[in-house]
Formats: sequence, structure tokens, C-alpha cells
Amino acid sequence: MTSATTAHSVVEPSATTRRFAGSLVVLYAIITMIPLVWIMLTAFKSPDDAISYPPKVMFKPSLEGFCNLFTTRSRQTPEFIRSLGSPQGLCDSIARSRNMVVAGPSNYVPRFVNSLIIAFGSTVLAVALGTLSAYGFSRFRVPLKDDLLFFILSTRMMPPIAVAIPIYLMYRTIGLSDTRLGMILLYTSVNVSLAVWLLKGFIDEIPREYEEAAMIDGYTRFQAFVKVVLPQATTGIAATAIFCLIFAWNEYAFAVLLTSGNAQTAPPFIPIIIGEGGQDWPAVAAGTTLFLVPIVVFTVLLRKHLLRGITFGAVRK
Amino acid sequence: MNELSASSRITYRAVMVRPGVARRIRGLSDRTLAWLFITPTIVLLLAINIFPLLWTIYLSFTNYRANRANVPTIWLGADWYQSILTDPDIWAAMQVTAHFVIWTVVIETVLGFGLAYLIDKKFRGHGMWTTIILLPMMLSPAVVGNFWTFLYQPQIGLFNYVVAFFTGRAASSFQMLGDVTLSPWAIVIVDTWMWTPYVMLICLAGLRSIPDYIYEAAEVDRASKWRQFWSITLPMALPFIMLAVLFRGIENFKMFDMVNLLTGGGPGSTTEVASITLKRAAFESWRTGYSSAFAIILFVTVFGLANIYVKALNKVKSR
Amino acid sequence: MSIDATPSIARRGLADRLLRRGPLEAIATTIIAVGVVMLMQPLSLTLYSWSFATTLFGTVMFTIVSKVRE
Repeated sequence: MTSATTAHSVVEPSATTRRFAGSLVVLYAIITMIPLVWIMLTAFKSPDDAISYPPKVMFKPSLEGFCNLFTTRSRQTPEFIRSLGSPQGLCDSIARSRNMVVAGPSNYVPRFVNSLIIAFGSTVLAVALGTLSAYGFSRFRVPLKDDLLFFILSTRMMPPIAVAIPIYLMYRTIGLSDTRLGMILLYTSVNVSLAVWLLKGFIDEIPREYEEAAMIDGYTRFQAFVKVVLPQATTGIAATAIFCLIFAWNEYAFAVLLTSGNAQTAPPFIPIIIGEGGQDWPAVAAGTTLFLVPIVVFTVLLRKHLLRGITFGAVRK
Repeated sequence: MNELSASSRITYRAVMVRPGVARRIRGLSDRTLAWLFITPTIVLLLAINIFPLLWTIYLSFTNYRANRANVPTIWLGADWYQSILTDPDIWAAMQVTAHFVIWTVVIETVLGFGLAYLIDKKFRGHGMWTTIILLPMMLSPAVVGNFWTFLYQPQIGLFNYVVAFFTGRAASSFQMLGDVTLSPWAIVIVDTWMWTPYVMLICLAGLRSIPDYIYEAAEVDRASKWRQFWSITLPMALPFIMLAVLFRGIENFKMFDMVNLLTGGGPGSTTEVASITLKRAAFESWRTGYSSAFAIILFVTVFGLANIYVKALNKVKSR
Repeated sequence: MSIDATPSIARRGLADRLLRRGPLEAIATTIIAVGVVMLMQPLSLTLYSWSFATTLFGTVMFTIVSKVRE
């Protein structure tokens, strides 16, 4: 389209309208970013700067929040600290300036690792099951197809607390409570519904003719699925995987009710990071920041497919 | 379906022609393959969702308590349902939920549609700004709830500082989370911050689905912009708006994580939405039978709404 | 579409026209919506008490009705 036709088109908004709309949207975007930016700034503040009034925008950056996040510390007398010799590493010297010594690592890393294992485990399972089912629903005549699809979707709609009551009892009976395997299975079951619906949309878009051509060339249906459909669906599978990953990463209700130590993920852990005399806000902010960074990256990667993801594949743009 | 069976016949012939190790896999009919592909998902969902659901239904008719498993279980019939459905406290929790659901949905719809309308003007850089606006809804509701408690701190919080800056009141004169009248709004604000982008994104899809020629025709008929908005834009985007409203309604009806982290239902029970009442009954007072009945009531409501949601989904899909 | 189709629709009775999927689904949807409103309204405890039965009835009806021919 040339600029001349754009100028004459009746549906194209004028330059003034655009600038006006743009500035309002940018204003909203900036306001909406303030809480996020604030929490990320807080992660780099010293505890005194974090709770100062009025809130400080300019401050001397400190890694104390991160140190407090990763370590546990114990208070000691100045004489004892002086007898220790030179501090080992940055965190130790920060702790010593507050009359404390580093006692050991905190639980944040194990919780973060749990989050990683459970999120990736459930994503792989959900996407694998989802791809197979989505292909089945997309290409074959399945009896009660619509009912099965609705049933699959409705499982995702259930209130998590309502599901957690019997799951708690069931896991207690079969010994899956507070295990990573239990959480992986649970998150898989929640994610598989999204995976089926999303992937069905993606697979529906791959022309059947490709497989049929392959099958005329002597491929079986299964070979055609593996060698023709799967490569075509890579983008869809990747997008679905990221959605499942984000859900499992963010989930809180099941995690807080069904895990206590072993399999606890980061979301229930971050709020209970307590320092001396109340919540240690820089440490909480540091934990939050580290936890949110992967999501920010994923959101940017996913931006083209977000709409599909949040409407279970129905709206494709 | 005709070309499908024709192609499978061709496959079959191909198998017959080429003998091989994989013959057994190759010989699978489409029907068998369909079941092989679908069954694992169904089995998983039956084990992790449907079996527990049936168990919950059974428990909801008994006096079972998870912390006293040895006490013999007595069949109570519909007693729990009767007591929940006549309990003014639960009714009050439903109204707290209603306040939360209605206000979040209304504000998010208005803001979200407005934003979508502006973004649809396609100003320079709209793609980047849209992505930035979308960020909050991708974050963990629990972590969001937790860091908003920091922003809401009366002495040190940024939110109180900003409100104080613009209204001239002292920042420590009000507590968003500790005040009976303010806390229901505190959770509405956070939910709006987080989920307006969701509504915006769906509305944007609705606006973009309206073909240009309709506006061109309206222009030819000299319809005013205002008239075009009410008789073209809004009606044609309505199925999408409904979709967003229904989904946000369902999600906020069962809201737990964010509110639990922000207020935990307090002060008193002013922000005790249904899921928090349920969690207190199930995992704090361990009234398993009672809370199962409550869970079933919430579940049926969500299931009913989910039916409507899928209907709305299909309506949008056909566009 | 053949021309004969039109008279055959016209010959259908009133009950036949009402008992189609569209209107029945709309009724079920309305019942569910009414049930949900009854659950959360602040006006009458009696309405609240009957909300669950209403929603359940609407949901069951919706499930059955969605099987009726188009």
C-alpha cells in the first residue's frame, strides 16, 4: 500500500488520532510498569533504603537483598566476629557489617530447583499427551468428540481448592504427598487440557493433504504423523509448551496446600522469607525478581501466540 | 470424511505390499490409532480429576474429617448442603465474592476495551507497548499478591505515598489492607492491574475481526463516528467482550492465590472470598465432609458457567 | 438447497419448532445465570438457599439439551 492510498482511506485513523491514542496507551503502560519496576529496584536496595519514607528512587545499589535471599545468618558478638579473620566473599562481609555471620545456604535454591523440575516435568508430559490427543481429535472421527473436548476443558476450570481436598486425601493414601512426582502429575493434568485445545487449533491448520500425500508415498498414518505433522506443528508445540511452563511455574494454590518441604516450589516460599523483625523486603524483592525474569522473557517470546493461549486456541487473529 | 477413508485404504494397500518389522504398527487402523492417542489423556484426567471429584461427592454426604481418619464415617445425607445453603456467614462470603467479581469485571472490561480501542489505532510502536502492557497477566498471582502487600504498606509503601502525594492526606493515615472499607477495594485494584491486559487482548482481537469494508460502507452512508461506534464496533466486538467477561468472571469467582497472599481474607472476613472460606474449612478446621459439600456447590456453579463459556468460545471461533 | 425444503419446515408444529437446540440452550443458559445471581445476591436468604438447585438444574438441562438435534 502506498502512502497516498493510506491518506485517502476512510478507515485509517488520522495522524493526530494516532498520536493521541499512542500517548494514552504509553501512559497506561508506564503506570502499569511502576509496581514491577519498583519491586526490581527494591531488590537492589539496602534494608534501610527499602523502608525509608518518602520512598527512595535514587539509592546506593546493594546486593544485601540477594545475599539475604541465598543465605541464613546468625547474630554474633563483635568480639567473636573480630576473632574470625577476614570475611569470605561479599555476602559474608555485608553480614559482618551488621554483626552477623553467614550460617549456611537458605532454602531458596532448593525451592527454585523444585519449581524448575516440576514445571519442566509437567510441561513435557502435558505437551506429549496433548499432542497425541490433539492429533486424534483433529484428524479422526471420535465418538462424543465435543463432549470429550468439553470434559477436558472443564477440568481446567475447576476451583483449585475444590480439587485439592480429595487430591490431598488421595496423595496421602498412596504416598505422593509432598513429592515432586505428585506435583508433576497434578500440574500435567491441569495443563493437558490447555495443551489439547491449543494444539488441536494448531494441528487443524495443517492441511490434511500433506499427510495424505505422504501416505500415498507409502507412509503409514503413524509415520505421517511423526514425519509430516510434528515438524509442521513445531511452532504450535513450542508455544503450548511455554504456556504450560508458565502455568506450572506460577501455580500457588496446589503448591501451598499439598507441599510443605520436599517438593515445595518457589511461589509459596517467597512470601515467607522473613528477616529479623518482620519481612525482609529486599530479600523478598530479590526472590521475586529472580522468579519473574524468566516469565518476562517467555512473554516476549510468546507475544504472537498469547491470544491463542488465553482463549484455548479459539481466537487465532 | 470420504477422502480420509480413501487414503487409509491406500495406506493399507501400501502395508500389504511392503512387508517389514513395523508391520504391526503400520497395520493399525485409524480407529485404533485414534484411541491410542486419546486414551492416555483421558486416563490421566480420570485419575487426577474425575476420581477425586467422585470422592468429593461421596465425602460431601458424610461426616469425614481428614485429621481424624479413625473416627467411623457416618452417612449424613444432604445435611451439609442444607447447612451451607442456609448459613448467613457463607452467604456473606458469597457477597464478598460478588463484590470482587462484579467490580473487577466491570473495571477490567471498560479499561481493557478502551485500551484495545486505542491500540487498534495502530500508532507507531504499538506492538512493543502492547507487549509491555501484557506483562502483568503472565506473572504468578501469588507473587503479585505478595509484592503488592509491600506497595500497600502504610508507612513505607509506594501506593500510599502516591495517593498521599496526589490527595495531600498523610501516607500513614490509611491502610489499604487493614481497613474494613478499603481492603475489598485493595484486592480489586490488584486484580485490575493484573488482568486488564487479558480483556484488552481479547477485545483487540474482536476489533481487528471487523472488516474494513463495513466502516467504508458506513462512511459512504455518512454515518458519524459516534454512530459507527455504537452500531458497528460495539455489536461486532460483543462476542469477544462476552468471552473475556465470562472467563474473568469464572476465574475471579474461584480466586484464591492473590487474595490469600494480599489479605488472607481479613481484616475479619471482609475479603473472605468463597475459595478462602473453603480453604479455611478444609485445611484449617479440617471439616472435610462439610468443605466437600461447599466445594461441590462452587464446582457446579463453575461447571455451569463453563458451559456458557464454551458456547461463547464456539461463537467466536466461527468468526 | 432444494426448493422442497421450505414447505417441510413450514409444516412443522409449534412444539417442534420450540424444541430445537437453540431456544432450549438459551433457556438453560438463562437458568444457570439466574442460579449464579441467586447465589451471590445480597437481598434474600431464601433465594440464596435455592441457588444451588437452580444452577444444578440449569447445568443438567444444558448438558441434555446440547444433545438435541440442531
